Amino acid sequence: MTDTVLSDQSIPGQSQGLFRVRQITDNVEARPVPSIATEPKLNPPASRAYFFGLMAPAIALLACISLYPFCWLIYMSLHDVEIGSAVWNNFENFTKLASDSRYLNGWWLLIQYSVMCLALQIGIGVFLAVALNGARFEKILVTTLLMPMMMAPIVAGLVWYFLYNGTFGWYHWLLQSVGILGPKSILASTGTALIGIVIVDVWQWTPLITLITLAGLKRVPQDQLEANMVDGASQVRNFFAITLPNLYPVLVIAVMLRFMDNFRFIDSVLALTGGGPGNATKILPVYLFEVSFKFFKLGRGAAIALTLLVVTIILGMILVRVFDRQQTRKA
Amino acid sequence: MFYTPKDAIFKRVSRRKFLELGGGAASALGVGSLTLGLGSTITRSRAQAASSDDAKWKQYAGSKLVFMSENTPPSFAIRDNIKAFTDLTGIEVTILTDDLPVVQQKLGIDLRGGKADYVLGYVQDKPIGAPFADFFADMTPMFGDDTLPQDPEGYGDSAWFDNFLTVCGRFYDKGKVIALPYDAAIACTFYRQDLFEANSKDFEAEYGYRLEFNKDSTWQHVTDMATFFKKAKEAGKDVPYGYAQHQGSFAWTTQLDIQRMLFANGQWIDWAIDDKLGSKTPGKTNWGDEQSILIMTKFKELADVCHPDNLANGTLELNTVYQSGNIAMQTQYHEFAASIEDESKSRAAGGKTAYAPCPKGDPSWIKNGGMAVNGTSCGIGGIGINGNASEDLKRAAYIFAIWSVSRENQFNVLKGLGGTPTRKSVVEMPEVKKAMVRPTTMPNALTFDPVYNYGIKDPHLVMGPKIPQANEYHSIIAAEIQKCCSGEQTPEQTCKSLQTQLDELNGA
Amino acid sequence: MASREVVHYETPITKALRWFSVAFIIVYLIWTLLPILVMFASSFKDLLEAFKIPAVGDWAGIGVFFEFTPTLKHYNDLFANLNFSSYILNSLVAAGGSAVISVVLGSMAAYSLSRISFKGKNDLFFWIISTRMAPAVAVMVPLYSIFRSLDLVGTLPGLILAYTTFNLPFAIWILKGFFDNVPYAIEEAQMVDGATRPQALMAILPLVAPGIGAFIVLCILFAWNDFLFAAIIGSGGAKTLPVATRELVQPQNIQWGSIMAAGVVTTVPMMLLGLVIRKYLVTGLTMGAVKE
Repeated sequence: MTDTVLSDQSIPGQSQGLFRVRQITDNVEARPVPSIATEPKLNPPASRAYFFGLMAPAIALLACISLYPFCWLIYMSLHDVEIGSAVWNNFENFTKLASDSRYLNGWWLLIQYSVMCLALQIGIGVFLAVALNGARFEKILVTTLLMPMMMAPIVAGLVWYFLYNGTFGWYHWLLQSVGILGPKSILASTGTALIGIVIVDVWQWTPLITLITLAGLKRVPQDQLEANMVDGASQVRNFFAITLPNLYPVLVIAVMLRFMDNFRFIDSVLALTGGGPGNATKILPVYLFEVSFKFFKLGRGAAIALTLLVVTIILGMILVRVFDRQQTRKA
Repeated sequence: MFYTPKDAIFKRVSRRKFLELGGGAASALGVGSLTLGLGSTITRSRAQAASSDDAKWKQYAGSKLVFMSENTPPSFAIRDNIKAFTDLTGIEVTILTDDLPVVQQKLGIDLRGGKADYVLGYVQDKPIGAPFADFFADMTPMFGDDTLPQDPEGYGDSAWFDNFLTVCGRFYDKGKVIALPYDAAIACTFYRQDLFEANSKDFEAEYGYRLEFNKDSTWQHVTDMATFFKKAKEAGKDVPYGYAQHQGSFAWTTQLDIQRMLFANGQWIDWAIDDKLGSKTPGKTNWGDEQSILIMTKFKELADVCHPDNLANGTLELNTVYQSGNIAMQTQYHEFAASIEDESKSRAAGGKTAYAPCPKGDPSWIKNGGMAVNGTSCGIGGIGINGNASEDLKRAAYIFAIWSVSRENQFNVLKGLGGTPTRKSVVEMPEVKKAMVRPTTMPNALTFDPVYNYGIKDPHLVMGPKIPQANEYHSIIAAEIQKCCSGEQTPEQTCKSLQTQLDELNGA
Repeated sequence: MASREVVHYETPITKALRWFSVAFIIVYLIWTLLPILVMFASSFKDLLEAFKIPAVGDWAGIGVFFEFTPTLKHYNDLFANLNFSSYILNSLVAAGGSAVISVVLGSMAAYSLSRISFKGKNDLFFWIISTRMAPAVAVMVPLYSIFRSLDLVGTLPGLILAYTTFNLPFAIWILKGFFDNVPYAIEEAQMVDGATRPQALMAILPLVAPGIGAFIVLCILFAWNDFLFAAIIGSGGAKTLPVATRELVQPQNIQWGSIMAAGVVTTVPMMLLGLVIRKYLVTGLTMGAVKE
């Protein structure tokens, strides 16, 4: 009996079409209603020119504001630009990074920060989504949960700074009253400051994971779940056996996106700690900001920026792969 | 209202092509502020040495200048009062104010990029002056120029408070002056007289001397007092903590915080250089020597008896802690007196706070044979002229610079928003003299005695290293001290780590 | 919709789990809303009232939070003294301008990318999206110098262009998905009937219009909340709300009341917009990877 149900499950799952699939490969074939046969007639070389023409302004603008800075960055990273003029310095900007403890520490903190944020966001976010899924006030509850995401990160940072304050902060009072913290506020110790900034990120972005998970949950084949239940499987077992594997692809995407955002956004960290105390929250982008805009070591800054960019691009490539695989799965 | 001379020449017209293109569309959207772009323009009618004063002031009427400044009272007050300057000179000045780190970024990019968007810049001595000294214009040739208006009091060292001109105006080269003192922040001790008096008996019973603070109080006394208050508080008495340091995220003041203690004990400084001029090649650092390790140990001992939130309190937050009545004493910059004496914001107002010089060194802490002094650190914000600007722009900017630091202006700022005068003559004005004792209408004046008459004088004033890498130096020092205070590393490790990092920073 | 409605199969464990879920949702709701509540409340409090806090462990003292006489003085201060109305305008123009430019140029590019295939298209597409992923801090210095040489620093056009660096790739990427979902057959039919290509494009625009509208809003949201670009490229002549809010942290006092009021002013419009485009939010925030 289980078998028959299983073979049926592909229908509801797909008919809902919950995944928007990027058509990275050949989009002509992947188009919902392809008209491959007539394509050559309607796409003569002249019309190709038309399409390229339409594309041109955007591509040109993007090239100006991204390719050119990129080349500039490479140039700077290979020169000593401390003194106004640029002098070739034999990759010194890069080789010096290897012994720059703040740089290495920055990577280590960035990884710690991201992993902590993601573990908490996924844990809380998924549980919340499961709890909310099909709940009585799902719509309104989810809408309420969205609020933090709409807040500018710098404002979020300032508000949390206020809450954490050791003199008049309500969260500090709360943490102290329940005995988690002593009189030392969370940002005032090298041991807890990183957790302090993680909490803010978790507060702001867990709802995103919840939203994504909820979308994924709607796609879990209900009949399969029901069939399993009839077979006596518990809800808990069902969750791990059927729901979670189905959520896996969405969660991978969520993880990648959040990971990259942690590279991109340092607004709240700047507002909360500025990297301190004792470099405890100086994640790499914050250090980069300091090197470029406080120390004005433009060459070193460019070298750091390039390493950060390369890692981001690799992450991006993996992300696009995941998109891709989804597409093949669907096809 | 603006007097535009007939023979005006336009030297540098703003060339924002994009603006011109987008102007029509933008004005259709009704965007008034769009026109407030950057860039200065100059209009000139040359004044002669023999010209009247009025003609000298007005020779650049119609010009526009941009002044990039920190968001401190003088700039706010001058901005409020800018009409007086426009009326006098016909020059329009836009004053942009930002947080110091932002000012640093913007000026840095402007100066380093060979541009002069900000013709006038706020030269905060170490953070902006030390790294960018070479990019600011030398003002000395203009001091004696009789085709320019001049301040009757002049610009010599004696016109300003002791050391001020040197701190913010001279870098690496004795002959050049790149900024005039515009704004000052001098450290002094703020303490709660009421609490000191109420607890004096208990304190004396335990420590054998009276609980009071004066110019002979040492850092050891501070530690005693902090310990006393902390113990009393933890025993449930209704007292605040005793002391707190500047350990928060503002690296520069964190560095200044330990510098005071280091200098107080044997006048220790980071490098064996001429402190007043600074050096581009300071060589090997003194960090790691016996004296520095001892003081770092003492600093950590003090940290342990401070307000528990020490590491989250930057200068500003520290002041909030004091304002809210949570500490009995702080070493703070004298410009904060105005906020302390503000009844609507402060629980330490209304005669509860007294002001004294910074704590003195303790003879038993001195290993290098130096003197025990009241190590006083400072930040003097100067007004400087962008060296990339054209000759005429520089001259026009000079007119604003000397006007902004004139006695009348400083007096107005002091009366209005609680300024920090830099000219000696301001404090000699009867009205200011009267304000130096309670009850006062100029709360900052309460600090003038310990600060202007004592702390800023030699041998107490410590300039802090003027080195081109000042900002990275501040950041390194702050991070290592914070690690030490949080117990992550011992004082000795801290000093050694600083030695390695600072020597690498300077390639020594 | 949930399985338990179909299968009434309650064991003590699932029951406990359900109660736990409800409790969890409630706690989470409080945790999510509390900072926002504090922001709102503090914006109406006098400074000394905002600093009032009970003794540690004094749970009964929590009522102190609500003991205040509401004052509008911080809001008043923002608009009367601190020039916030012009910052709102700056934010609106910069965010709106960049959103419109991004979506217009983005639709053109997305439509074309959706309709033709050529060698290297994948690479081009990846490059487009990688510009969106790049950390802003990394490219800020070169970008600044370019903007500087064009005299765009501190101007609204400059800020609009800066925001376009992240909104345009976003728009292309997302909108291509929209056009992909429009069957080419529709255009075909139009062209067989004698329509020119631009006319055919016009014919399908209504089909994607709601999506395009939602993504204009989303682009506004991204730009409105930005701090780094606004602080470095915009500040001066084109100060936006987040920058102006951060600036209230002044060297001699942190104007908490005004900061909270400014936070409210910055946040509320975006919360409302978020509600309006609620349907597209997941798609937008996951760069189209997930659709509700």
